[in-house]
Amino acid sequence: MSTHVDAPAPVERKAPTTTQIGRSIPRLESRAKVTGEAEYIHNLRLPGMLYGKIFRSTVPHGRIVRIDTRAAKELPGVFAVITGEDVRALIPDPYYGPAFHDQPVLAIDKVRYVGEPVAVALSEDPHIAEHAANLIEAEYEDLPAVFDEVEAAAATQVFVHDALRPAGMFPDLKHLHGRTKTNVALDFTLRRNDVEQGFAQADYVFEHVFRTPTVAHTALEPIVSVAEPRGPQALTIHTSSQSPSFVRSEVARLLGWPENRVRVRTAFLGGGFGAKLYIKLEAMVAVLALMVKRPVKISLTMEEQFYTITKHATTVHLKTGVTKAGKITARQCEAWWNGGAYADIGPRVTQKSGFTAAGPYDIENVALNSYAVYTNLPPAGALRGFGIPQLVWAYESHTDLIARELEIDPLEFRRANILRDGRPQATGTIMHDIATVEVLDALSSAMRWGESFDRGKGSIRRGHGIAIGFKACIAPTTSGAIVNLYGDGSCAVYCGTVDMGQGSDTVMAQIAAEVLGLDPQSVSVIHPDTDVTPYDMATLGSRSTFHMGNAVRLAALEAREKLFAIAGKALEADPSLLTVADNGVSAPSGRRLSIADVIKSTFLMQAGNIIGTGSFRPTYTSPSQGDGQSDDITPFWMVGAVGAEVEVDTETGRVRVTRLVNVADVGTPINPGIVTRQLNGGALMQLGFTMSEAVRFDNGQAVNASLADYKIPGILDIPDQTLAKIVAGCQSTGPFGAKGVGETGTFAVSPAIANAVHDAVGVRIFDLPLTPETVYRALRAAQHNPLEDQQ
Amino acid sequence: MIPFDLQEPASLAEAIALLDPDDPSVRPVAGGTALMLMMKAGLFQPTRLISLRRLEGDLRRVHVDEHGDLHLGALVPLSKLELSPLVAEHAPAVSETCRTLSNVRVRNVATLGGHVAHGDPHMDLPPLLIALGARARAVGPRGERWIDAADLFVGYYQTALERDELLAEIVIPAPSPDSSAAYVKFTALSADDWPAVGVAAAVRRREGVILDAVLAVSAATEKPIRLAAAEAAIRGKSTSSGSFDEAAEAAAHEVEPLADIRGSTAYKREMVRVHVRRALIKASHS
Ligand SMILES: Cc1cc2nc3c(=O)[nH]c(=O)nc-3n(C[C@H](O)[C@H](O)[C@H](O)COP(=O)(O)OP(=O)(O)OC[C@H]3O[C@@H](n4cnc5c(N)ncnc54)[C@H](O)[C@@H]3O)c2cc1C
Repeated sequence: MSTHVDAPAPVERKAPTTTQIGRSIPRLESRAKVTGEAEYIHNLRLPGMLYGKIFRSTVPHGRIVRIDTRAAKELPGVFAVITGEDVRALIPDPYYGPAFHDQPVLAIDKVRYVGEPVAVALSEDPHIAEHAANLIEAEYEDLPAVFDEVEAAAATQVFVHDALRPAGMFPDLKHLHGRTKTNVALDFTLRRNDVEQGFAQADYVFEHVFRTPTVAHTALEPIVSVAEPRGPQALTIHTSSQSPSFVRSEVARLLGWPENRVRVRTAFLGGGFGAKLYIKLEAMVAVLALMVKRPVKISLTMEEQFYTITKHATTVHLKTGVTKAGKITARQCEAWWNGGAYADIGPRVTQKSGFTAAGPYDIENVALNSYAVYTNLPPAGALRGFGIPQLVWAYESHTDLIARELEIDPLEFRRANILRDGRPQATGTIMHDIATVEVLDALSSAMRWGESFDRGKGSIRRGHGIAIGFKACIAPTTSGAIVNLYGDGSCAVYCGTVDMGQGSDTVMAQIAAEVLGLDPQSVSVIHPDTDVTPYDMATLGSRSTFHMGNAVRLAALEAREKLFAIAGKALEADPSLLTVADNGVSAPSGRRLSIADVIKSTFLMQAGNIIGTGSFRPTYTSPSQGDGQSDDITPFWMVGAVGAEVEVDTETGRVRVTRLVNVADVGTPINPGIVTRQLNGGALMQLGFTMSEAVRFDNGQAVNASLADYKIPGILDIPDQTLAKIVAGCQSTGPFGAKGVGETGTFAVSPAIANAVHDAVGVRIFDLPLTPETVYRALRAAQHNPLEDQQ
Repeated sequence: MIPFDLQEPASLAEAIALLDPDDPSVRPVAGGTALMLMMKAGLFQPTRLISLRRLEGDLRRVHVDEHGDLHLGALVPLSKLELSPLVAEHAPAVSETCRTLSNVRVRNVATLGGHVAHGDPHMDLPPLLIALGARARAVGPRGERWIDAADLFVGYYQTALERDELLAEIVIPAPSPDSSAAYVKFTALSADDWPAVGVAAAVRRREGVILDAVLAVSAATEKPIRLAAAEAAIRGKSTSSGSFDEAAEAAAHEVEPLADIRGSTAYKREMVRVHVRRALIKASHS
């Protein structure tokens, strides 16, 4: 029997005192990581394995005239050199992708960005493979290229793809099938009441445009995949993936195989941040391995990651109507997402984040348009926040400007317009379990808002700023889990959640341990292996604690029910009155048996299993076409607010963040230590995207594709004080009241800092990042003495 | 990376003998932090590397000679410069500069010789070595010679060293009692980044008057250079901020900054102005 729940699972409100929930136990794998014992696919070597090295396009858009692989093939030690045409011989239509089937395994006919894989050289020696890849030559007929998302959306001549090819998976993309002469992969529209009327009711209307650049995930373990053929008809893929279930479906689809012939497994990931989602190198290694009949490994370098997946650059146009008293009457938003040459999950970002583009405010009239745009840049996908930080950058900078203009305290202005529990969001969905007000209150006190503030002196000016953002968890998605009690009473959790550093193993163990009365440190968590672990949509979008946590809880409950049924007999008690604690089952009579003895009582020796399964799928109503309205858009909301204190050097424009406070609604934290580190980690990652990170392109060529020139924050960039504050809340549908937290720390960092800079020196930055030169130029412009470039 | 021949000679003479004056794909390697970056980027493909890791003796020593000159061996790691009490006493600006030079992992491995011999204009120490009047001792098949730090950097990633010469040491002359020096580093991206602009100043002053000053800039420019006009502008002037402004103005006029991802030409020119002033203030208050 399996417990399948379609409706949100009821929370165990009457549960006896919880002992494992709310405990900051150390991570299960800490020791293995510190001692170097933790498994990473990066270290995997298989007998007979070949290394693949990718030869990449050097032009942003071009027709392939000729690929010359002769010199590479002649190099001693080279096993094979494969091009897109070779791939087509095995798979007639070798295009993949989660939202659109638009990305070829290796370029066919055309290349669409600098860095696109064109051929692969294979050798038992990775150095020879690299040397061979350097010997490949390609000739292209240059085609005009488009790079800017707004220009590309309006283009009438230059198209990245001849026709749109939506994947079958998402019904709401079907209408796009076969569309030609466009770079807009998806246009999402939301209409709530009448914005024009809302603007008419307003005393003031404000309009601004905000931009964010392409940024990179820079996971410390670069993307790596190994495919291992098991004869011509079966395949194992070892991969640093956040979504093994999806990899299996997609590789099986490409090969025309049933899913049960593709096994996909992962180990620990050295960071993911969204870069390792859906399908990256897996299709390529799978095809290569089948062609050469040997295991094939491709491990990217840090540099190559910049050519594989990025975060969307955006342009966001906002227009807001507001009354003299400070009530927002209408908000209109147009967002352009620079998706690069292949859609990846961009269309989902465009829609799933797009519908929150008006911010966490209670606004009567809303009109949102969100466009996923193809350009000749590396593909953009998910990155910690799934588009939310770009939108919050826009709407919270905009909101601050309005408050300033109206001379209303920015915190009060937000408080007056905030979306409260029980009120409808722009989609029409009524907000539940959302602690927006509590988050603002906690932010206010953490920032000592309204108290006197040191403004600095001389060329160092100080300021403080705040911002708040929110996110809907992605829907609809499913997670399944198995909890297995072995004959000796020890326990394993089988789940498809990928632990990429976020601590999910520990949290899943805590949940199972809580239900079964075990020590969480003794629970083993079996890493994703599609031959073993049940389906899980993916480890993304802060969904795992909620979805997989619920599935694990249900599985553990089922196992416990079976355990109680057996124990009832052994203890001569009513199973419904039994309780678990300390690896044992107790009856009201006081009699107690260890779990091992309960199992022995039925199998008569140390043998057998007690298996519980759980599957969790929250309800969902997809937004209606045209107005984007839905009464059930998401299973839960996340709220994150940030306060920043900064020092600006007015002579150089350099900004130093001295204090960064993150306040989050995470429901009930299962492991507060992990939650705090996720919040701080997210905030510091976003600090980099705010202050220094931007992939710079010259005619489509990334010019700083390495950690030498693409600068993530170092220890000296960390604010003197970085604080994470958890607002106690309860997600009534979550496991033990929990909701997700992996992205919340990122939401509001950028606008809080820009708002603080404005507070300090009176200039507004509209485009990220806030490099010294950007701020300096704004300062000079404000003094009517703009920095001239021709000198 | 394509395989190459790695030699690990045990003496300086052996190392020099392994160098090849005519083959740019043969190079010495010390800490490897700069060279590996180039190799990974495919900018340099060696056929042979001569590792200096087994060389011992004065190459690894920091000492002060009988004239009070500070000798820094070419194989001394930057972290040792940072922490050495001798350096702190005789050239405090060098210790201080090392503290914000990259990060502790790089400093533990990177050597002074590699730092200087790389000829990378984005390095922190070269302008300071110029300002301090340092000299480099180079050893080659024809013996040794001395090169002034100001003459060492001849172009973008180009030094006055011959292909078959090795840098053996850097010598910083004993400071006169009325002199002081400072380096200011300005980063445009992360705090531990290479500088966008680096300015070093060494001043000799008496009773509130600058007798003379050496000013050098790096990172913004094609190579580390002295700022002659700015030096002239400050000579004989008082240590008031007004005269510093004049020097800063002169410096902004004389430099030709190169634009890159760390800043435009116009912006770097402004940053040279700001940091020449700041370097002068710092040097005359230390
Ligand atoms: C991540 C990172 C950040 C950095 N940040 C900074 C920074 O903020 N500021 C800064 O100034 N620098 C910075 N650097 C550069 C660093 O200072 C240099 O890489 C380092 O000093 C080079 O020393 P090395 O011993 O590793 O040189 P190597 O890499 O071994 O050699 C560099 C060059 O010098 C030659 N060479 C080495 N030793 C000798 C010798 N004795 N005689 C002749 N030629 C020789 C080599 O052939 C090579 O051409 C950074 C480097 C890294 C990797």
